Amino acid sequence: MIETSQLTKRYGDHLAVDDLSFRVEPGRVTGFLGPNGAGKSTTMRLITGLDRPTSGTATVNGRRYADAAVPMHELGVLLDAKAADPARSARNHLRALAAAGGVPRRRVEEVLDLVGLTDVADRPLGGFSLGMGQRLGIATALLGDPQTVMLDEPVNGLDVDGIQWIRRLLTDLAAEGRTVLLSSHLMSELELVAEHLVVIGRGRILADTSMADFLSGADEHRTLVRSPEADRLARMLAADGVVVSSAHDGEFEVRGVEAVAVGRLAAAHGIELHQLATRDTSLEEAYLRLTQDAVSYAGHSTGHDSGADPTSGATSGPSADTTTTALTGSPA
Amino acid sequence: MSTTVDLVTPLRRPGLSATLRSEWIKLASLRSSWLTLAATAIVMVVIGAVAAAASASGEAVGAPGSDGSDPLSTVLTGANFAMLILGVLGCLTGAREYGSRMITTTFVATPRRWRVVAAKALVLTTVVVPVAAIGTFGAYAAGTAVLEGAGEPTVALSDSGALGSLLGMVLWLTCVSLLGLALGFLLRSTASSIGSLLGVVLILPPIAGALLPDSTDAVLQALPSNAAAAFTTITATGDIDISGAVGVVIVLAWTVGLLAVALRRVVTQDA
Repeated sequence: MIETSQLTKRYGDHLAVDDLSFRVEPGRVTGFLGPNGAGKSTTMRLITGLDRPTSGTATVNGRRYADAAVPMHELGVLLDAKAADPARSARNHLRALAAAGGVPRRRVEEVLDLVGLTDVADRPLGGFSLGMGQRLGIATALLGDPQTVMLDEPVNGLDVDGIQWIRRLLTDLAAEGRTVLLSSHLMSELELVAEHLVVIGRGRILADTSMADFLSGADEHRTLVRSPEADRLARMLAADGVVVSSAHDGEFEVRGVEAVAVGRLAAAHGIELHQLATRDTSLEEAYLRLTQDAVSYAGHSTGHDSGADPTSGATSGPSADTTTTALTGSPA
Repeated sequence: MSTTVDLVTPLRRPGLSATLRSEWIKLASLRSSWLTLAATAIVMVVIGAVAAAASASGEAVGAPGSDGSDPLSTVLTGANFAMLILGVLGCLTGAREYGSRMITTTFVATPRRWRVVAAKALVLTTVVVPVAAIGTFGAYAAGTAVLEGAGEPTVALSDSGALGSLLGMVLWLTCVSLLGLALGFLLRSTASSIGSLLGVVLILPPIAGALLPDSTDAVLQALPSNAAAAFTTITATGDIDISGAVGVVIVLAWTVGLLAVALRRVVTQDA
């Protein structure tokens, strides 16, 4: 389990992580989402103790990572796949780390085999591709047979096989009762593997919720309508107070009203329909809508006096019900 | 490709010995470490022999300022090069992981960071001491043999201060590489740590000696390479009137002090 409590990190004037409190539970894969610069990597660095928090705490399985008796057995980390000496071979790299962690030598061969690098284990790391580097990073993370695994963008540079493999691996690790925290910018990837989500923007929690709730909470009955009398139908729907947007002639999208209602209205007025389709909200769309505020807020803010702008719905405070606040607060 | 993780590998609670093993594997698994160490010993011995031969044939040799007549200085002419190489090895040992960002991986594996600094210092000392000893005593043996063959005066190990000078040279070379290690950790850059080390050890003393008035000789003696002149064959840039023992204390104080500053920075600052 990973737990942060009022975790805050300030670099000079920049507030990278702002009063972050969340818990990553064992037994499931938790996705860690946020736009670039949201503070994901900083949060992970604070959890590992690479950076010191300005205030607040981060613990792994109930203790500060640096205080663990056998750190490598508590937490396995992939933060930066290229953080290795290019002149050293994969095998020697892992041997050195295994020795540091009190891990027996044969475990090196096990993780090399596990990530499929045995054949290239004696090549210098400088010649590794991004995908091979990621595999080595995952091998490093699993070296100590850790209770908790934390991976920053692990699918970066992996091929389709590799992505499927890591998806299975993470699911298996969670099924074994381990804690898995996974950041990714590939929303579709997280959607397939993560059961729970922690979303941050500008260093603050935007959502801490199950994947199902995140998706349904963002659902607004988006319906695509195509009709030769699109304009007339759109005007009627708009009069009812639903949101109508139009991309092309003869086509528009309604939110807040179900397809059935649109069809009925059209039938009642004898309007011909060519298409009436309900669109599911993907995680990516739900996420973009949620983080939009955080991103644009960051764009026009010049200072670091976060919280001073009460108009920003999505950053209205890290209370327990942030999820609902953020989701209902975000404009359509 | 299997997806399951083999569970329950026996793990030892890692202490300093685990970090030492890790740092040893790191150093030993880089070919450049061995090349550097071999080069140090070879350069000292070869230059010692060549300098002895040149001295025997009547040419002026030795570092600038040395009179060339001291046989011990002559056979240890290569020490300045060894100092450069071992100093660079120290800087690389401290700074190289910052360049490759390996240091983050290292500190995640060993979150008690003082152990990393301590282990690197101990491993570096473990390899540098024998190499410096082989180079120093090898140069002495080879150079002395050449001088003897030419019928030139030589220094016996039993002569007053001779053995002390040779051992002092081993100590000095080791301390230079540890100073490099400390600077590498402090500056986190191979280039700037090498630059700083050369500045302090090679460039600063002659400049300070030339620019500062004679009344500051006491200050000049506190510079590491000038203090080293009191117990080695290294040539000082001013009048040195401290004993060998005081020189050793000054050099050790520099080394321990700079390592302590580096340790503090590593432990208290973000990686």
